[in-house]
Amino acid sequence: MAAGAGTAGRLLRLRAAGAGGRWRRLRGAGVPRGFLQPASAGEDTAQSRRVAHFTFQPDPEPLEYGQTQKMNLFQAVTSALDNSLAKDPTAVIFGEDVAFGGVFRCTVGLRDKYGKDRVFNTPLCEQGIVGFGIGIAVTGATAIAEIQFADYIFPAFDQIVNEAAKYRYRSGDLFNCGSLTIRSPWGCVGHGALYHSQSPEAFFAHCPGIKVVVPRSPFQAKGLLLSCIEDKNPCIFFEPKILYRAAVEQVPVEPYSIPLSRAEVIQEGSDVTLIAWGTQVHVIREVASMAQEKLGVSCEVIDLRTIIPWDVDTVCKSVIKTGRLLISHEAPLTGGFASEISSTVQEECFLNLEAPISRVCGYDTPFPHIFEPFYIPDKWKCYDALRKMINY
Amino acid sequence: MRKMLAAVSRVLSAAAQKPASRVLVASRNFANDATFEIKKCDLHRLEEGPPVTTVLTREDGLKYYRMMQTVRRMELKADQLYKQKIIRGFCHLCDGQEACCVGLEAGINPTDHLITAYRAHGFTFTRGLSVREILAELTGRRGGCAKGKGGSMHMYAKNFYGGNGIVGAQVPLGAGIALACKYNGKDEVCLTLYGDGAANQGQIFEAYNMAALWKLPCIFICENNRYGMGTSVERAAASTDYYKRGDFIPGLRVDGMDVLCVREATRFAAAYCRSGKGPILMELQTYRYHGHSMSDPGVSYRTREEIQEVRSKSDPIMLLKDRMVNSNLASVEELKEIDVEVRKEIEDAAQFATADPEPPLEELGYHIYSSDPPFEVRGANQWIKFKSIS
Repeated sequence: MAAGAGTAGRLLRLRAAGAGGRWRRLRGAGVPRGFLQPASAGEDTAQSRRVAHFTFQPDPEPLEYGQTQKMNLFQAVTSALDNSLAKDPTAVIFGEDVAFGGVFRCTVGLRDKYGKDRVFNTPLCEQGIVGFGIGIAVTGATAIAEIQFADYIFPAFDQIVNEAAKYRYRSGDLFNCGSLTIRSPWGCVGHGALYHSQSPEAFFAHCPGIKVVVPRSPFQAKGLLLSCIEDKNPCIFFEPKILYRAAVEQVPVEPYSIPLSRAEVIQEGSDVTLIAWGTQVHVIREVASMAQEKLGVSCEVIDLRTIIPWDVDTVCKSVIKTGRLLISHEAPLTGGFASEISSTVQEECFLNLEAPISRVCGYDTPFPHIFEPFYIPDKWKCYDALRKMINY
Repeated sequence: MRKMLAAVSRVLSAAAQKPASRVLVASRNFANDATFEIKKCDLHRLEEGPPVTTVLTREDGLKYYRMMQTVRRMELKADQLYKQKIIRGFCHLCDGQEACCVGLEAGINPTDHLITAYRAHGFTFTRGLSVREILAELTGRRGGCAKGKGGSMHMYAKNFYGGNGIVGAQVPLGAGIALACKYNGKDEVCLTLYGDGAANQGQIFEAYNMAALWKLPCIFICENNRYGMGTSVERAAASTDYYKRGDFIPGLRVDGMDVLCVREATRFAAAYCRSGKGPILMELQTYRYHGHSMSDPGVSYRTREEIQEVRSKSDPIMLLKDRMVNSNLASVEELKEIDVEVRKEIEDAAQFATADPEPPLEELGYHIYSSDPPFEVRGANQWIKFKSIS
């Protein structure tokens, strides 16, 4: 605990030293309380009880979508669902415990506003939920299903992979379940252990016919979720649960969409490309600033956003420019999505590479309970890998 | 004369040095056993049910009381440790449901098998592990029963297969264990537990079908505590007669707050299975005082009055205590003494659980596969590796 606080102290001094005007930084180390305090409240982090492995870095306020409001991730999701239900009279939301607002409060107020036949609970049956959702979508209505934790999506795996993904293909475009969107909390949360922390995007990446999307922030979440709902293909939208309260930024109130299958270059650079998605984006952003400060290395940071179909062009263009690539995710190393990116990039950009592609991922073990701080690919592991790549 | 007086006084003073309560106990005459009437079980596809009267011996009564009180205090201690952030992660407490774990254990042999879902601390204890090991597992220390790597939901013991996090996934496993019992021919049965929420999972019905088809000695037990997380049974199930949901499998509905009722029903069910007639289903109607887990206050979907009512009218420990005291099987003081002993045991266990060191970091990679020789686990990047030893 003391070591954690020490790290946090070092981190803050680092950030204070490198603070530029680019991001409106909020104080704190991922602890919700920190975000409600003004930045001038002092550099003392000893009061925070837990130190998260990342610091959420909000994007500047978007000006092109109209009026914005301060929202955290679950409020942004609620806003997106609200917009969808308002615009589309066939849209329904269902899942376990969604009626009272959901265990992460993503559907608060929607049942009161839209009625109990549009926002309803299902019994405890993931396979049933997704199968049922596919049925609704096939008739043309918009189905927004919630799986309570991504760890529980496996009973529904058969329905997603064998039914939803292949519907259009096997019926020769006569039928499709494109209006199905499955939302699920995803990723490590600090105390989730084996069954509340998994990141199963790699399992679904192996399945043509569906789209898998992971946002990094409230603004991204709302835009990407609205795109998923409108997209004419079944989509799985994984929401990083540790960001539900920790991520706060200004989000437009009106609906807007962010295109799928487009990666975003968050920060331009010339020496190394860093790729991640979800919570891990904030970790590598920190690593980028550490690299700039300590090694004078300029990093290009990319948020992949859509896992499949992924934006090969943006990534390859970046690697051609920099020559080095580091990919990071919480899921286990073997067979994780970094392996697909690594494989494709070495095919496309072999002669441009200056060093082997580095993957900084979780261990090949089940997600541990007590060992979590050692398991996750935190910024020190990423920084270490980056340094070794630079010195290759 | 003086020598005799001295001897008598010595004996008397020795007697006076014994703890006062023991002297008190020794001077009272308790009944050896008593007969109690228990509630009749509702039956599905059964001609006869368990008996409506049962005999409870003093020894058994004290044993059940001690076990239930230990489970109760252990759960409350876990609650306390969780609020102090010494236990982290997820913690599902079963106080209120003690009669289920103790009653089930009383109806079967230690060689029978049991598997349940995540509300498993009580079963871990009744299946033979000590409170120390359970609390140390909750705090994630190396003295824990799963060496600190499992936590609340993953505790195991001999003939106790956990401790399973995914709802409903343990039921087909239970059917498989029952198949092994039948195959081994040692007259063992498997108790497969699940909750009222899990009763709506598809894989449960697959397990029913297999067990009935192959006449497996599997006792399916639905612990109906009226709420699946926050959803009441009326809002989740088209039919709340969980004992009938096995359809072709005979069933009985049991008062899960009465340890004797549970014991008799379990004995009946075990005898049914051991005679080779196939699976049987038991629904235990019980109640949990805490919320679903420690992050659930437990009052947003039910009223405090309801919880209070169950606590005052049907608390399993209170029911057993009243029965024993009223039929002279034990005295109030004796039971209080047991309470004190239990409290001390739990305190010691909590002390151990807090002070024990965490498992060493090298164990991060252990026991992924069964592997000989040990292999290397790929780590966060190509320069970090852990050994996997199993």
